[in-house]
Amino acid sequence: MINSIFSPKNNGFVFSNAFGMAAISISKLLMNDFNGTLIFSEFVIVPFLMGIISAWFWRNVNFGSRQLSAWSCYNTVFAIFLSALILKEGVICLVIVAPLLMCFIILGAFTGRRMFKKNNQTLNASIFVMLFGIFVFDSLSVHHYENKVADTIVINAPPAEVWKYVVAYKRIESPSKYWFFRIGMPSPVQSTADGYYQGAKRKCIFSNGYVFDEKIVTYEENKDLTFDITKQPRDPEIMGHIDILRGQFLLKDNHNGTTTLTGNSWYRLYVFPVWYYDIWAESVTRNVHLRVMEHIKQLAETK
Amino acid sequence: MFVFIIRYFGFLKFIPGLALLFDAQLKLWTLIVNPNLLDWIDDIEHEVLTWPGTTVTTHKYGGLQFNYNGKELGHIHSNGLLDMLLNRKIKQQLMQQDRRVQDHHSFKNSGWISVYMKHHDDKQLALALLERAYNLHADKALNN
Repeated sequence: MINSIFSPKNNGFVFSNAFGMAAISISKLLMNDFNGTLIFSEFVIVPFLMGIISAWFWRNVNFGSRQLSAWSCYNTVFAIFLSALILKEGVICLVIVAPLLMCFIILGAFTGRRMFKKNNQTLNASIFVMLFGIFVFDSLSVHHYENKVADTIVINAPPAEVWKYVVAYKRIESPSKYWFFRIGMPSPVQSTADGYYQGAKRKCIFSNGYVFDEKIVTYEENKDLTFDITKQPRDPEIMGHIDILRGQFLLKDNHNGTTTLTGNSWYRLYVFPVWYYDIWAESVTRNVHLRVMEHIKQLAETK
Repeated sequence: MFVFIIRYFGFLKFIPGLALLFDAQLKLWTLIVNPNLLDWIDDIEHEVLTWPGTTVTTHKYGGLQFNYNGKELGHIHSNGLLDMLLNRKIKQQLMQQDRRVQDHHSFKNSGWISVYMKHHDDKQLALALLERAYNLHADKALNN
């Protein structure tokens, strides 16, 4: 009975995931600037090591690459389930993180299989020490990343007409085309302002009721609306891993009855590596822009 | 898709580990679309390792590399793409004999060939090609 529970197959799943959870807890203790930040090591080194650990337990199991790949996929599903349960991560975050975890767990499992076939203990120990060193170094490093996304559309209306809908606009009723919004990620639906002047408060309301409190810092009628985000929701979904710092709408008169509307957003990411997560952050921010800007275009052109 | 990524993002292979990560992603893709291919690659590995002097290592740009006395015979990426260095004469011969033998996906004007394994028969072709490369290297080693 005990032997069937603690079989090499099960041990590969259990111990690699136990290591993963322990490593993430340790990294939180080591990090000086911990504020919900999830670092490079947690998505690269830890899953890679999880793959190696599972391969160690499976080293005497006679199976091929197909089964090793499949078991590594199950291991990833197990890790994702634990992340949802223990780390309270949301579904959309897990959809984003799954491909990264899966690839590194597979890579780790195949690397581990080669390592343990060679059975060179010095090499194996060196690899572990090197990866652990990277993990500690990364945990102790400062993590700060900010970026800006800009998008432009042309509206068949003069700037004065467009401006009417830039500061505040009525509720967006059209269904979203972006797949992330369709699977449940909150999308912007309405903007309100308590005045049309610098210093006025503005609110951006999202589809699930989230409200971003904003303050207008630049108000140049028909030209520039810039606002700082003063308060934003933090929840287990993506909003907990990115802060929108500032937004901006720039209007340029094309002198032919049309206006070029540029939407800019500045954000700070709390998840690393940025080479992976910034692709998603840019995509989400861009689609937030486009949803609002397309709505403004529709309102301005209907008049 | 593979050719597109190699053509436009191939320069990224020099970033340590990135090609290996890409190969892991290929493995995942193969597991979904053609899982038998992973078995065929294992079969090829087992067969090649029965030949004296051969070893298997991880290819620097991802995949399984077959060696004879430390020299590369060829490598298979996890999407079933076999790349081998022969010589231009043999390459021309092989390309005329079998349409599955193609110019290398990156090095067109060289002795490198590529074979995309998709079906079970392609495994036999891959083994025959690796055996040919093995015999060439073994003969060369004997003559030296």
